[in-house]
Amino acid sequence: MTMAPQDFFPQLAGWVANLDDVFPGKQVKPFFAQWEVGHILSLIVLGGSSILLNLRLMGAGLTEEPTAEIHRNLRGWMWAGVIGMLVTGLMIGSANAERLYTSGAFSAKMVGLVAGLILTFGFTLPTAKAYGRMGTGERVAAVVGLAVFALAIWVFLAAKLSNPGLWHVITAGALVALYVTRKRVRIVYASGLALIIAAQQFITHVIYKFDDYASLDPANKAFAWGFVAWILGAVLVQAVVSGRDDQRGAFVKIAALAALLVWVMTAAAGRWLAFA
Amino acid sequence: MIRDFLVWLARSVGQVGSEYPLSWSEALASSLNFWGLLEGTHVLTLMLFAGTIFVVDLRLLGVAFKRTPVSVISDRVLPLTIFGLVLMMATGGALFFAKPLLYYHNLWFRLKLVFLVVAAINIVVFHFRVQRNLPAWDNNPKPPIAARLSAMISITSWILVIMFGRYIAYDWFDCGKALPHWVNVAEECAISEHGAVDLEGLAK
Repeated sequence: MTMAPQDFFPQLAGWVANLDDVFPGKQVKPFFAQWEVGHILSLIVLGGSSILLNLRLMGAGLTEEPTAEIHRNLRGWMWAGVIGMLVTGLMIGSANAERLYTSGAFSAKMVGLVAGLILTFGFTLPTAKAYGRMGTGERVAAVVGLAVFALAIWVFLAAKLSNPGLWHVITAGALVALYVTRKRVRIVYASGLALIIAAQQFITHVIYKFDDYASLDPANKAFAWGFVAWILGAVLVQAVVSGRDDQRGAFVKIAALAALLVWVMTAAAGRWLAFA
Repeated sequence: MIRDFLVWLARSVGQVGSEYPLSWSEALASSLNFWGLLEGTHVLTLMLFAGTIFVVDLRLLGVAFKRTPVSVISDRVLPLTIFGLVLMMATGGALFFAKPLLYYHNLWFRLKLVFLVVAAINIVVFHFRVQRNLPAWDNNPKPPIAARLSAMISITSWILVIMFGRYIAYDWFDCGKALPHWVNVAEECAISEHGAVDLEGLAK
């Protein structure tokens, strides 16, 4: 099963094939690399703002300042990053439309983008502005954003040859969990993580031969789920433990983790477009 | 001499006797997913590394977090930046190891290294000179000119490093193509596998 845009919108094939011959694709093509740099710089501005805001919502990072102060300082940069990313993305896309039209990773990126926008503007920014307290609107946005994020991951999983890019999301999740967990939770989490990594290395390098893809593929997939369960478990335990004496509560922290990882997923899908 | 070392690195290190022995460098470059994961991690880590260093620089410029002491931003944000830098250097080093000769003869890679050195010197100067009297201006919304200048150099050099890094993927100035003489000299194309073809020579 593939989930490339061409599978959902086959009637657009003719229009897509012509996109790089008309405005703005035609004008962008000679300066594709420069627009790409603009796309990466926008992602960096968005990424930096998202990391600091969401880590603070999880109770880490710039803890000397209330979330509202971080919101006040970074919301403009967040907007600049998102607008820059959308504009440069549209330009790059118009000059490279046929490649994107046949890519499952591009579908994952687009669904991820929707999830990122919902989580960022529906949850992260308003919740940070309200000192970490969630209203009904933020709660609904977080639930919808989480559901769309789950859909994006499912689409990414189905994107053959691109789906190893999901390891970026798992790695980022593992590092964020290591950063936000505290005391005993961190020790148990880090030890378990090291054990899973060692087991994966042993099985995929010692038990199975390097070219035995029939065995390596399901083994790596099983480990990926193992990592996800362990990381989410650690964040959940930390969120519940710290949520007891924190006005923000566990759900804010879980939603903040998703709001951070969704941009990693979107960027990873974008990068793996080029490899598949 | 550097090139000889890189040839050895690319073709000999890790080579074991079999019918078609691959060096570690060649094995990494031809791996099914590992090279892609390294490259993807290198690019995605920019969000952490550059994304957070820009916030520190914006504070030093007096543009963001004006009410927060510079020391608080440094203490809380810079550890994330440093972690990102370590990750970038590790993945960047591995990527270089996979294709050392390609990068060695690449104009953009050389320019990237130049601005990495500029950024590194700027960090050293800031650390040992500019922030020596930090307590005197820690709470100032607008830090002194030396700190602002350092932040400006930092932002500019990192943007150039990122830009040149992206351009490496493009073959505009690959050795073996007809190139202006100065590009052939800058990339040392004459000693590369593909040789140097001077555009001016062809025109004559």
